[in-house]
Amino acid sequence: MGAASYRREMQGVYVPRNAYVNVSGADLIRGDDGQFFVLEDNLRVPSGVSYMLANRDAAKRTFPEIFRNAGVRPVERYPDLLLATLNSLAPEWRPDPQVVVLTPGIYNSAYFEHACLARLMGVPLVEGRDLVVHNNMVHMRSTGGLRQVDVIYRRVDDDFIDPLTFRRESGLGAAGLFNAYRAGNVVIANAPGTGVADDKAVYAYVPTIIRYYLGEDPLIPNVKTFLCREPAQLDHVLANLNQLVVKAVGESGGYGMLIGPHATAAERNVFADRLRADPANYIAQPTIRLSTAPCLVDGQIEPRHVDLRPFVLCGQDIAVAPGALTRVALRRGSLVVNSSQGGGSKDTWVLAQGQTSA
Amino acid sequence: MMLARVADSLYWIGRYVERAEHHSRLADVMLIATLDQNDTAVTVARRAASMEETGTLATPDTPFSAAHGLLLDRVHQASVIASLSRARENARQVRDQITSETWERLNLLYLRVTAAGAARTFEKAPAAFLHGVISDLHLFKGAVDATMSHGQGWRFLMLGVYLERAQLIARLLNVCFGESNGESPLDDPMTQMSVLRMACALEPYLRVYTAEIETRHLLEFLLFDEEFPRSIRFSTQRILNHLTWLAGPATTAERSRPQRLAARLSGRLEFADMEETLRPGALLSLVARECASIHEAIHETFVRYPLEQRLTA
Repeated sequence: MGAASYRREMQGVYVPRNAYVNVSGADLIRGDDGQFFVLEDNLRVPSGVSYMLANRDAAKRTFPEIFRNAGVRPVERYPDLLLATLNSLAPEWRPDPQVVVLTPGIYNSAYFEHACLARLMGVPLVEGRDLVVHNNMVHMRSTGGLRQVDVIYRRVDDDFIDPLTFRRESGLGAAGLFNAYRAGNVVIANAPGTGVADDKAVYAYVPTIIRYYLGEDPLIPNVKTFLCREPAQLDHVLANLNQLVVKAVGESGGYGMLIGPHATAAERNVFADRLRADPANYIAQPTIRLSTAPCLVDGQIEPRHVDLRPFVLCGQDIAVAPGALTRVALRRGSLVVNSSQGGGSKDTWVLAQGQTSA
Repeated sequence: MMLARVADSLYWIGRYVERAEHHSRLADVMLIATLDQNDTAVTVARRAASMEETGTLATPDTPFSAAHGLLLDRVHQASVIASLSRARENARQVRDQITSETWERLNLLYLRVTAAGAARTFEKAPAAFLHGVISDLHLFKGAVDATMSHGQGWRFLMLGVYLERAQLIARLLNVCFGESNGESPLDDPMTQMSVLRMACALEPYLRVYTAEIETRHLLEFLLFDEEFPRSIRFSTQRILNHLTWLAGPATTAERSRPQRLAARLSGRLEFADMEETLRPGALLSLVARECASIHEAIHETFVRYPLEQRLTA
């Protein structure tokens, strides 16, 4: 309840098909023994799928001869699957729904992806200022007047989608959007408030949640996680800071974290103070040596650490894109793959025969 | 269906690109006129370039520094670099609506004029630099024409091009032949030739009227010629075509307002009295005024329309 991304406004709101998370992109890693782990969940606004498409495009041009015989499953239908997922969320009384992509605009670092998905799905790319809410219906300003909007694939954070409900000073959203959503007149995908599941403290409980609600064991285990809110675990973390990775629960993009073995004693002391001051805000995990993949660096093949982000779509049906985003830590030895911290990416192949390779 | 914001951006791409081209040509002709020691032509280019509505260009000392500023000074609202930056900014906003070919042409040109060594390249060989910019702009327009669907988006872009063109040519003629400037109208053939060059009209003019350059013919050509794509009449005709298409077949009174304004101006030019080429001042002011109203009407009809008009429930 104390999580920064918790949205009390969502209490009692009906969500179409009960599907809160329509696009997810969890981060997976492969440990020393070949076992895959879930490193983080990305259920709010997962990004990076355009890299999957652009990398594939580049790889096909560069290595046509390897491609021809490898039996790589195509990823090019992703926009199609995404559009079908979004369409399936629309109210039933709107047989020919209008889907739009909502972007914060050209200054957002992922604008390329927003424009790319809108173009490939053939739907309008709208900004908050294009939307008008009237009588709890959402419209967009077209040259020919107002057009009703049924499904909004939003790439704007919860905080900014509606200045009347969330942050008042936000100019990125549309006033009244949330009320229209609550009235069931428009669908927002992913649902507001889903960021609570990205919270790294919630992550620790996900296997328990899966067992409780589904009666199944998780197919891919979590990384061992210490919750600093528990005094005993906090003591363990403080005693072993030089071996652990410490993360702030509400952050993403590689911000607010300490990689113990790579940090200086001074950096560790700063974090130890922060942990004692606000233990509930932090979790810690053992430093996992991410698996490596060969990369071409300065004309030579060298190993670099990677992780894997597959994309899962959930509407009427559930679909897993037959490809993924492989993120690469471009600096030698670095474990930080986030693109906002200088990470790169690779084309990722899913082979038709059932074998995978990156 | 096209978003109003997208239509607006496409329209402005057209305007800025046309403005960049015209101002590059003014700078080019100005530099050539300096070599011919034709001070009148230099003055004409300077005056035509300082757009009143976008702030006056400061008057630098030499024609060379004036051309430099007109091209590469970001602070000047009317400079080529400022126009190209804005055109590209608008193109980025609607990247999903224009073809990659179109985007690449504009982006490459933008990178050329904003490159670190652009000022030096210009100083070394100004004529070659200007020639490069102008032909890149022609390539851009070619890509627009050849790769974009000729639907709504293309029409908004071309609307911007022709409206800007009509205003720029009207302004150029007003500087040369308007009554407001208090000096006697231009009658020196060398200067008139420069004016035709500024309008990219010298060769087509010669084909029609031969090398006998006369004020009356020059005005007739740039105001009323039916076939020359930079004459005000031709531009107005195109504006009218695009607006008629955009208004659609079953149109309402308020939706057809820009179209009616364009038809009025087009008719005024079509049925103008040839005597008006002797004293064109009033007609040129009318063109400037009407173009401004068409611009306003486009904005109010397609972009910033009042919501009350369009809400049904």
